[in-house]
Amino acid sequence: MEEEKGLTEIKLKVRSVKRERERKYRDYPAVVDKSTAAHDFWEPIVHLGLWDIKGHQIVKGPWGGGTVEQAKKRAPKEFMVIDRASFALYSHSYGLVSPFFRGLLEGKLMGTKCPKCGTVYCPPRAHCWNPQCKVADCFDNWVDLPSAGIIHTFTVQCLAAAPFEHMLPFSMGWVQVDGADTTLSMLLHIRPKELFIGKKVNIEFMPKESRKGDLMDLYAVAAIQDEKPPEWACLQKDPKEMESVENSTKATLEFIKNRYGIDNSPETRGW
Amino acid sequence: MPKPNRRVAICGGGIFRPDLWHGENAEEGVATAYQDLLRQCPNLEPDDIDAVMMSYFSDHLNQQLCMGWIIQDYLGLHNKPGYRVESGGSTPLDALINAYYLIQSGFFDVILIPGWEWMCEVDVASTNEMIASAADTDWDFPVGGYYNAYYAAMEVRHMQLYGETCEDLGRIAVKNHNNSTHIPFSQWLSQHGTAPITLEDYWKSRLVCWPYRVLNNAVMSEGACCILMAAEEKVNRFTDTPMWITGVGLGTDSMRPGDRTVDFVYAGFKDEAKIYPDFVKIPKTPYPDMANFASLHVAAKRAYAQAGITNPLKEIDLMELFTPYDGVELCLYEDLGLCGRGEGKYMIREGIVEYGGECPVLLSGGLTSTGHPVGATTLYYTTFLYWQLAGKVKEMCGPDGLQVPNAKRALITGHGGTGCQGGVIIFERD
Ligand SMILES: [Zn+2]
Repeated sequence: MEEEKGLTEIKLKVRSVKRERERKYRDYPAVVDKSTAAHDFWEPIVHLGLWDIKGHQIVKGPWGGGTVEQAKKRAPKEFMVIDRASFALYSHSYGLVSPFFRGLLEGKLMGTKCPKCGTVYCPPRAHCWNPQCKVADCFDNWVDLPSAGIIHTFTVQCLAAAPFEHMLPFSMGWVQVDGADTTLSMLLHIRPKELFIGKKVNIEFMPKESRKGDLMDLYAVAAIQDEKPPEWACLQKDPKEMESVENSTKATLEFIKNRYGIDNSPETRGW
Repeated sequence: MPKPNRRVAICGGGIFRPDLWHGENAEEGVATAYQDLLRQCPNLEPDDIDAVMMSYFSDHLNQQLCMGWIIQDYLGLHNKPGYRVESGGSTPLDALINAYYLIQSGFFDVILIPGWEWMCEVDVASTNEMIASAADTDWDFPVGGYYNAYYAAMEVRHMQLYGETCEDLGRIAVKNHNNSTHIPFSQWLSQHGTAPITLEDYWKSRLVCWPYRVLNNAVMSEGACCILMAAEEKVNRFTDTPMWITGVGLGTDSMRPGDRTVDFVYAGFKDEAKIYPDFVKIPKTPYPDMANFASLHVAAKRAYAQAGITNPLKEIDLMELFTPYDGVELCLYEDLGLCGRGEGKYMIREGIVEYGGECPVLLSGGLTSTGHPVGATTLYYTTFLYWQLAGKVKEMCGPDGLQVPNAKRALITGHGGTGCQGGVIIFERD
């Protein structure tokens, strides 16, 4: 293990040794560069894997074809299972809809409007997808949208993919921003007992210094304080379901506290 | 509707069963499935195979590009034309349809279709992350998203519009898990045995993304399956009980489900707008909205037209639907025309889709119980349908096998993304 650590350190040095960063767009001016410093820091880290084998296990397990019963009756075999790691840092262009994401940095919501059919897209499309419009250019036709909309649909998550696990429990959903024809996915900082389809929301932005230029820069909050869901609201109309959601979110809070030491309770987060 | 040049049939399927983990790696699993196929079709010689159509979904899960080359080489079939098909969850169905096109058009007579997926090399949260990168990574993925959440949100919308309840989703989960205990190759059976479950167990199962509980969601699996498909001139060499492909259809829909409020290509379904309750703002495109699956709706229409089906509920004996989440099954009853829009809930409440019902759905147990190694998934369930139409369920699954008496015609679906791609195949026996 010590030897392995030494080797990894050498490989990391090889990776991070100061050399000029690849610039695929070196012929074009970087009007804003908030990347180089971040790149110097992250590039070696994401390569911690380096395709090195970090360890292995010998696992004794069933093998061969046929039914479950047949497989489990056979004398097990020993399989060697290696741990191998690797990854990379992606420099990805947002393309012609980049103004939307620059808008997020400024705390502004924008959509594109098709000059031919008038459809307002948020998420924006650089080209209209209405077949009648034959991918008409929309990318120079931006419209400012209000920070308000209605919930088109939602879910309450007690499980999430790896990058978002520490934020559990939370709700995400699709919001139709006022004036837009399509719906935008976002986090809903709204307690489950207040969530319903058709609910009016306001869209708020993270503090300026923590905005990064993706949809995590914004979130929806209830437009009307302590709004009681209508009697047809599918989550609340069955008290048993509502109770089960409350219990599950509580259990998830505990789980996250134990695993990451993070307190996501409504009292701390405010939602 | 193009007129088929000649008839094409499935001649058999070989299985390497799905489970949460296998010691064997993918190529060894596929080889085991191929051995099983060779046993089912004793006349099959490598020289009979004109081409290989490979079905696997992810390059990320094993950090191996061009896995198909490894498979062809490993099976000793690397002198044949080889194709890889990839369309998310629809991958294996798409592979079947592409093989069908190539045989039906006369390019090849016999195609081997190996499918596999090894999904458990990374932790489950990371597998979810890698699968979710099939969603739009600029727009839908960054928002805490993964497929459980996307599908849950779609089901919430459907539930709000049409009034099914969590209990309906529970009934579907109970039906499928209990069907799965009759499949001796099932992952659920491997991990939990053959004891049936009840709605009580369902209510106790952990909430994942409301309204979906653990028992509503597809499992993570490793496994492989090999299907043999042949033109009518060659069929008799391999089987006495060919399963003919009499209709195929493919469909697609928007990448982001949130765009389906203004889904111009589906503007043709506006007549159904009357279904909307008063309190809901009607989107520009009322169907599929962000609730139903238009890709499957058009795929089914195309397949029915080719097979001459006008009343699917009456004319099809059983169905294997691709349902990674139980709400998809409920929606597909509607999208496939088994009932009207919004009436999916009655199909499960009235037992129409249970074993013994008018049109049993997922007697295999399906993705939430029997297994879902993506590239192999629809190939397994095609193999199970093959046993059904050949009357071999009890021979293959034992005396507890759920054979549909005298089954003549079956349907299978594939389903990728949030219904971004879907496909339907109709199978018939002589
Ligand atoms: Zn347009």
